[in-house]
Amino acid sequence: MADLVSYVVRKVLLAIPVILLATFIVFLMLYLTPGDPIVAIAPPHASQAELQELREKYGFNEPFVLQYGKFLWRLLHGDLGQSVARATLNLQVSTLLLQRLPRTLELMGIGLTLSYSIGIPLGVFSALRQNTWKDRSVMVFTLVAYAMPSFWLGILLMLLFSVYLGWILVQGTVGGLTSIILPALTLGLGNAALTTRMMRSSMLEVTRQDYITQLRSRGLPEREVIFKHALRNAILPVITVIGLDIGWFVAGAVVVETVFSWPGLGMLITTSITNHDFPAVQGCILVLAIFVVLGNLMADILYAFVDPRVRLG
Amino acid sequence: MRLRKTLNDRLLGWKMSGGFRQTAVEIVERGSRNSMVVVGMTIIIVIVALALLAPVLPMADPTPSNLVPEERTLSPSWNHWFGTDELGRDIFSRVIWGARVSLLVATMAVVFSLMIGVVLGLTAGYFGGVVDYIIAGTIDLFWTFPAFLLALAFAAALGPSLTNVILAISVSYWAGFGRLMRGQALTVRERQFVEASRALGANNIRIMFTHVLPNCLAPLIVWASVGVADAITIESSLSFLGVGTQPPTPSWGYMLYRGIPFLEEAPWIATFPGVVLLITILGFNLLGDGLRDVLDPRMKGLRR
Repeated sequence: MADLVSYVVRKVLLAIPVILLATFIVFLMLYLTPGDPIVAIAPPHASQAELQELREKYGFNEPFVLQYGKFLWRLLHGDLGQSVARATLNLQVSTLLLQRLPRTLELMGIGLTLSYSIGIPLGVFSALRQNTWKDRSVMVFTLVAYAMPSFWLGILLMLLFSVYLGWILVQGTVGGLTSIILPALTLGLGNAALTTRMMRSSMLEVTRQDYITQLRSRGLPEREVIFKHALRNAILPVITVIGLDIGWFVAGAVVVETVFSWPGLGMLITTSITNHDFPAVQGCILVLAIFVVLGNLMADILYAFVDPRVRLG
Repeated sequence: MRLRKTLNDRLLGWKMSGGFRQTAVEIVERGSRNSMVVVGMTIIIVIVALALLAPVLPMADPTPSNLVPEERTLSPSWNHWFGTDELGRDIFSRVIWGARVSLLVATMAVVFSLMIGVVLGLTAGYFGGVVDYIIAGTIDLFWTFPAFLLALAFAAALGPSLTNVILAISVSYWAGFGRLMRGQALTVRERQFVEASRALGANNIRIMFTHVLPNCLAPLIVWASVGVADAITIESSLSFLGVGTQPPTPSWGYMLYRGIPFLEEAPWIATFPGVVLLITILGFNLLGDGLRDVLDPRMKGLRR
């Protein structure tokens, strides 16, 4: 147990520089904008005096390192600046983020669930029928689903379900649960393909092991061998990477939310970029990046929990 | 990018003997017997040829200056294979011209990432010690950070333009190459031929680039191929979000975005660029997957 604790502590400490890098990149973004950085975070049509005031407030006259320090200090207090878009002028970016966050979590949660409920059974199915045409078609499906850019998949699903079949309300959240299905499926399909592949190879590996042969030779029904004994072991490596999927979903969410006008963080990034609402863009990217780091951390810890060899490495 | 991460881990520690030429000959020989490589390569050759020949092909102007209202949203026909868009521009010709943009951005981004990654990874792995500690730390930082988010941050800050997209993707994608190169360099530098050439008086730079690098070539090629697929996905996503290539330059991502309001009326506007985009990404993925199987038979069993 002690080695697990020290492993977790080590991993948590390693996550700190990555989060710092994220804050630095977000801070640096201001300096990468063409022209005076203060203009990027000032309300539109601000007067010279107002700009000067903002410069003083955010310390833009001070050395670079000190500015970054102040930026971090404000972050620690939850201050991400104020929105400069017309619709949400002077609203705290943190408030804006908190409003949108539940929507993204909802989408990611359902997307993850969908991708596992498609990927795991499909992978098992494919492994049990290795090298048959059924297996091959599943593999072709995973190749295509993995290569499919999520925005195009979203467009195709919209076309199929709402335009041709007239089933589900297309955009936004008006339809409640029914309107989340398409975006969640779009978000989850690429990951479902990956899960299928991983589940398949993991299952193939496990079913070749001696204890499975032994169970079969003892006369256990095949169903029991597969679902009670093999699946339990095969599913572990697939489940432990759930944290890494979060990184995949974060990137996907930005695009998918935009396609379906789903009012989460991803959509907020896109609209903020269009509205030149720079503080909001910074806030979103930071929050999403922290998500990914936490997801990776979770994967590392889960993995060590399941496989004790990792802790010592 | 989870698949990429596992792929990269497996490519680490993979050794190929022989120099540049021998590796190239081996790749062509064995690759031509693998169906994934052949299909992937065929797709890539067709797309690249169309993209290169775009200026001389007998096609409509992708960005005509005088738009004819009667030509708007025409369905696919003999005259307009993929139909026309909401402004009356020929979609087939825009898709082909869009291929130029996508391929240019993706190739440039992969070349820059490769250069950054190879130089840093090679230096870290070859010299070891403090140099390695610092560089490997940096590589790991960027490796953990999701490439798309980083590219989005840079593209949003720099403002939309072709150069900025290339820059944004390179900055966010190089860590994979760096990691791979470092891992390879760490093992290769221990081999006897490195010691031998040092004894013969070769300097570090010479050993690094003429002895260590060629031995790491095969996994770099695999990673570069899937890298192009990733870069095309990132580029089209950025254009889709409006921070990539700017109109009137035809770009697949932006064409898809513009097609959404016309889904009911003219579904071909958003469909055809997507088909070509998917096929292109598939082509590079197939090539990468196939090459990996071909070049390293040990891995074939691992990821059927």
